[in-house]
Amino acid sequence: MSRSSYLKPDTVALHSGYVPESDHGSRAVPIYQTTSYVFESVSEGSSLFNVEQGGHIYSRITNPTVAVLEQRIAALEGGSGAICTASGMSALFTTFITLCSAGDHLVSATQIYGSTATLLKHTIKRLGIDCTFVPINDEQALRNAIQPNTKMVFCESIGNPGLEIADIPGISAIAHEAGIPLVVDATFATPTLCRPIDHGADVVVHSVTKWMGGHGVAIGGAVVDGGQFDWEKSGRFPELTEPYAPFHGIRFWEEFGPSALVMKMRAESMRDVGAAMSPHNAFLILQGIETLNLRMKQHVDNAGKLLEWLQQQDAVTWTNYPDMESNPSHELAATLFPDGAGSMLCFGVVGGRAGGAAFIDSLQLASNLANVGDARTLVLHPGSTTHSRLTVDDMKAAGISEDMIRVSVGIEDIADIKADFKRGFGAALRVAGVA
Amino acid sequence: MYIDVRGNKTYAATGGKEFDPALPTVMFVHGSGLDHRSWALQTRWFAYNGYSVLAPDLPGHSLSEGDALESIEEMGAWLADFIRATGVDRVHAVGHSQGFLDLLELARLEPQLLKSITGVGTAGAIPVNPALIDAARDSAGNAAEMLLMWGFGPDAQYGISAVPGMQPIAIGRQIMAGNPLYEDLVACANYENGSAVAQAIEVPSQLILARKDRLTPVKAGMAFAEELNARVSVIERYGHMLPIEAPRQTLQKLRELIGGLELAAQGTQ
Repeated sequence: MSRSSYLKPDTVALHSGYVPESDHGSRAVPIYQTTSYVFESVSEGSSLFNVEQGGHIYSRITNPTVAVLEQRIAALEGGSGAICTASGMSALFTTFITLCSAGDHLVSATQIYGSTATLLKHTIKRLGIDCTFVPINDEQALRNAIQPNTKMVFCESIGNPGLEIADIPGISAIAHEAGIPLVVDATFATPTLCRPIDHGADVVVHSVTKWMGGHGVAIGGAVVDGGQFDWEKSGRFPELTEPYAPFHGIRFWEEFGPSALVMKMRAESMRDVGAAMSPHNAFLILQGIETLNLRMKQHVDNAGKLLEWLQQQDAVTWTNYPDMESNPSHELAATLFPDGAGSMLCFGVVGGRAGGAAFIDSLQLASNLANVGDARTLVLHPGSTTHSRLTVDDMKAAGISEDMIRVSVGIEDIADIKADFKRGFGAALRVAGVA
Repeated sequence: MYIDVRGNKTYAATGGKEFDPALPTVMFVHGSGLDHRSWALQTRWFAYNGYSVLAPDLPGHSLSEGDALESIEEMGAWLADFIRATGVDRVHAVGHSQGFLDLLELARLEPQLLKSITGVGTAGAIPVNPALIDAARDSAGNAAEMLLMWGFGPDAQYGISAVPGMQPIAIGRQIMAGNPLYEDLVACANYENGSAVAQAIEVPSQLILARKDRLTPVKAGMAFAEELNARVSVIERYGHMLPIEAPRQTLQKLRELIGGLELAAQGTQ
C-alpha cells in the first residue's frame, strides 16, 4: 500500500490507471497513437482549454496511454500525480525550470550522474540558475550552501556511479527547515526498493528507461509530485502561489493544492518545452512495470551473489556495493533499502585503465554500453564514457576512479554471468602481467 | 478570493473568474475534512458559463482561518453569514456529503437565501462509526485512510482519474490529513434534524447519488429524496466521492437543474 492506493505494489504495477471499459474491452492498455482528440462540440473544446474538466487536447500535453503510465508510477511512488517525459534528463530539466527561475539557486549532491552534473553546472547556468554542489550527506555543507534564493535540494537516492546512499530523512529535514523541497532522482532504486516520499522527499524523478522499463527498448522519464510540500507556507514559490498569466491568471496552489506542482509542469513545461513521451514508449514501459517487482528481486539477488564472488577473485582490486558491511552507507542502506540497495555495483580490476579495457573487451554475455537497468547485464568504464567530460578532480569528487568498472547486474542465471566475468578477468590478468 | 466572515479570513474559490454578485450564483459546500478543491471540475464550468461561483473552505479548513465549527447547525448559520458577506442575495446551493447537511440547516435558518438545493453523495443523516471518530481524534491522517478506502468507488481504487496523471486518493488524503476531520465527523454523527428540515424546504431540490456509495448508501439517499420531494439521479459505477470520481456526470445533473431554473426565471422576467 502506498499513500495513493490501497492495492499492494504487485497489483498496482499490473492494474493501476486502467480498467477495461472501452468499446472493445481491451485487457492490455491500448496504445492511443494519436496527436489530438476530437471535441464533441465547440463548448466542450472550450471547457477543456479552460480546465473546466479533465480530458485530452493534444498528445504533447496529455495522452491516454501516457496517462495510465503516469497514474501507475504515481501510485507506485505514493504521489499525488505524475507527468511522463521524453527522457529522464527532460524530467530533470522540467523539474529544475519549474522550481527555479533566472536568479535562483539550488543545492545538489556532488555524487550524481555525469549528464545531470553537466545540466546543473553548465546548461541551466546559462539560464541564470546557479547550483552549489555539496558532498552527499554532509549536513553542515548543505546548511551552509542554502541561500535566500535557493529553491530546492537535489540528490540521487543511490548515486551514479559511486553508489552513495542519500540520507533522505536527514537531507529532507534540513531542506524543510529552510522552507524548500527535496527532489530525489530514484532511478537506481525504483519504488520496489525505496519510496523517497515515504522518507520525506517532496518530488521524485525517474529515468524510466532503466529498471522501470527494464528491457532497454524505450527512453522515458517521470516526475512524481509527493503532494506534501506547502508551497504557500514556504513563501519562495510565487510561480505556484501567484496568478499565472498565460493560463487565465490561475493560482496553482489555490486551485490544485497537493497536485499544484505537477499541474504547473503540465500547463507550462509540457506545453512550452514539449518533451512529451510517445504513447508507444509509454506502452513499452508499462509492459516493463508489470514485472518490476519480480525483476527487482532477481536483480538484487544476482547483485549480491556476484558481489560475493567478485570479492574472491584475484583480478579484482576493490568492490563497492551500498549493502557491503565495509561501505559507510551500509547502515543507511539497511534502513532505507531493506530489500536490497539495487543491482548496480562497481569494482576495480588489475591493470588499471588497460586492464579494465581488456576485461570489458573480452566479455561475451555482458554488454558494454551506456545504459543501466536492462534485464541483461551491462558493463561500462565511466572514466572514458559517461563521466569523460568531467575533470579529474570532478571525477574524484563524484566518487569515480580511472580503474572503475560499473556493472548493472542483469537477471540472467548467475552462473553464466560469473563465467563471462571469469573470461574477462583472465584478459585483465594477462594485461597486468600476472597471468 | 478571500473575504472576512465573522472576523476570520475566509477563502472561497470562484472558478477562475472574478466574483460578480450580480450574476446568478452557485455555492458549493465541501464534505468532511475536504475543501474547495472537491469542486474543481464543476466550479470552473459555471464560472465560465454565465454564473458566479462560491466554493468556500469552512472555518479551519485548508485556506480558511478560524476554529472548526462543532455542529451542523453552526455550519448552516455560518454559511448564511458567508453568503451575506459576499453581497449575494440568493444562491443555488450544492453540498457534498456533510456539505449537504450544512445546506439543510441553512435552509432551516434562512430559506430566503436559497434558490435551489442539491445534495451530492449524501442523505438526510450521516451516521458515523464510532471507531472512525476515535481514529480521527487520534490522527486525521489515519481516519482519512479509512474514509478514502470506503469513500472512493472501484475505479478510483484502481487508480483511474478524471484528470490525466493524477491520483485522487493521495490528493484527498493530503487535504483531509491537514483538516479538522474529527470535528466534522462528530458534527455529522450528531445531526438529527434532516427529516424535520426536509418537510419545510420549498425551493427546488435534487439529490445526485452514487450506486457504489458505501458511506451514504444509495438506499438512504433515495429515502431522503422522497422526504424532500427532490428529483433524484443515481450515477452507476462510482462511489461517495462523486464530484471527484464522476465530475462530468455530476456537472451534467447540476447544469440540468440550475440551468433549467435560471432559464425559467429569465422567461418570467
